[in-house]
Amino acid sequence: MSAGSNIKPQDVEGLIELFKSSNWDEMHVQVGEFELFLSNDPKATGPGRAVAAAPAAAPALTAAAPVAIAAPAASAAVAHGGAATVAIPDGLIAIRAPNLGTFYRAPKPGAPPYVEVGQTISEDTEVCLIEVMKLFAPVAAGVRGVVREVLAKDGQMVEFDAPLMLIEPAK
Amino acid sequence: MSISRVLSVNRGEIAARVVKAAQALGIEAVQAVSLADRESMAAQLADRTVVIGPAPSRLSYLDPKLLVHTALATGCDALHPGYGFLSERAALATLCAEHGITFIGPRPETIAALGDKLEAKALARAAGVPLVPGTDRIADATEAQAAAETLGYPVLMKASAGGGGRGMFIARSASDLAAGFDKASNEAREAFGDGTMYMERYVENARHVEVQVFGDGNGHVLHFGERDCSIQRRYQKVFEESPCAAMPQGLREELHRAALSLVASVKYTNAGTVEFLYDVNRQEIYFIEVNARIQVEHPVSEQVTGFDLIQLQFRVASGEPLRYTQDQIPVRGHAIECRLNAEDPYQDFRPSPGRITRWQPPRGAGVRVDSHCYDGYLVPPFYDSMIGKLIVTAANRAECVERLQAALARTEIDGLTTNLPLLRHIAQQPDFIDNQLNTRWLETTGLPAFSAQQE
Repeated sequence: MSAGSNIKPQDVEGLIELFKSSNWDEMHVQVGEFELFLSNDPKATGPGRAVAAAPAAAPALTAAAPVAIAAPAASAAVAHGGAATVAIPDGLIAIRAPNLGTFYRAPKPGAPPYVEVGQTISEDTEVCLIEVMKLFAPVAAGVRGVVREVLAKDGQMVEFDAPLMLIEPAK
Repeated sequence: MSISRVLSVNRGEIAARVVKAAQALGIEAVQAVSLADRESMAAQLADRTVVIGPAPSRLSYLDPKLLVHTALATGCDALHPGYGFLSERAALATLCAEHGITFIGPRPETIAALGDKLEAKALARAAGVPLVPGTDRIADATEAQAAAETLGYPVLMKASAGGGGRGMFIARSASDLAAGFDKASNEAREAFGDGTMYMERYVENARHVEVQVFGDGNGHVLHFGERDCSIQRRYQKVFEESPCAAMPQGLREELHRAALSLVASVKYTNAGTVEFLYDVNRQEIYFIEVNARIQVEHPVSEQVTGFDLIQLQFRVASGEPLRYTQDQIPVRGHAIECRLNAEDPYQDFRPSPGRITRWQPPRGAGVRVDSHCYDGYLVPPFYDSMIGKLIVTAANRAECVERLQAALARTEIDGLTTNLPLLRHIAQQPDFIDNQLNTRWLETTGLPAFSAQQE
């Protein structure tokens, strides 16, 4: 397991706080395969494949990410039971939510989804975004195989540990 | 009721209590739970349950952003923090306010001001609330002796920069001060780089008394009587009762006035508790601190006043005025609460989580049990060990004690170790029955007698 896979959303948040409280123009952090580039220059494109670029006014991970949609009271259905209790069919593996948040299939509105049903993925493939209070974190598949079903709905809240996608693992 | 859906973000008995209170008012309740609490009572009672994170509190109940995100995503317009966890963290109240969520508790600035002990003391002093008599800096033993003559022995010498008891000592005479002053001052200088000392009156025979208050945010404040929580172990309350039967009526009125004067001065909103030390020998009260939240022991106040304080929290938070006047809140009868914990009183109170195979709390007139437990419930190892509160009410303290003894005798809990034997022991002690108690009684008398019984 690479060091990058140990980076948690809280860690990213901590780094952003650090950047905000500093008077630096840019910050570039690389830990294993994890890479974070923060800049106060809205035109900055980063030193390479940036996870996200921070706009000048509000240094937060929003530039490359969709806008959070909070469900209004009227449309938020009240129902029993969490998604975490869904049965997983034999032979398939669920990619589960690493934390509660809003699920996004694409890196930004209008962009093609990270993955489509039928697509072959590897452990490192980013499959979706999960957002908590405007902090967007990509989720890596963690498994090699083929996407068979996307269970979570785009723009909807997913609970911690909820199955997001079903993967048929590679033999 | 302007609140239509609340997110309950605590766990255990208070979460169940909050969900029930909300539903009684026609408010939908969404319960935020960690993965370990999916089967909890609050989750079963709630209209919807949301798993917000894994078992460790840091990744679930202690993350303000997760809680507010959940509230927004589930369409909640209010959030109830319960007690403990983030209930007195101004940051959560602020985050709620920023996102249009009604935080059911005091304003963030009130939480912040009262949470700072020095600022709280300054506010108390400004409101004319008595503090423990003490001095400013004291230069040497001679000066200390002069100050002690004024304050009266015994006195407590403390290091200004202090903490953890270093540089602190009790002096019962002038020779104690002469013998101890330089040593303590040097100890403080070594530990904190500052040998400055000051003095406070040492209260030998103290009770812990506290006043339940409510404010509407506009300066209208009410009290719901006082509680005596003198039976403590390591500053953890074990028994709580209302009223404080040991306190004369004149002093009780002074206590209530002091509490109200402090909370009125900050235009306090919602429920709070003003804690005091009751110096029994001198018949004086001294302010300790304000707890800006609902407390574990609120049920004894409910029992003697007839108010549902959690429902009142919802009403006040929704902007309803406090329609009562103080004379509409009489205190009737006596109530005692004791805390049932999953811990082993024979093994230094080691937590003993596990599955409850039989949960049979007592029932009957004047007996109330606030708990989240049931047959087959697994008490998880990640959190506080409290599994419930037994609350008994009667016309007076003597009858209340008898009822408590009977109720404890009828309580049956199997599957894990609890502190029930200790609760039964305390309820039978002559000092408890005769109300001859102070804050050190349990550790110096009650527990040694309990241990001796086992040998």
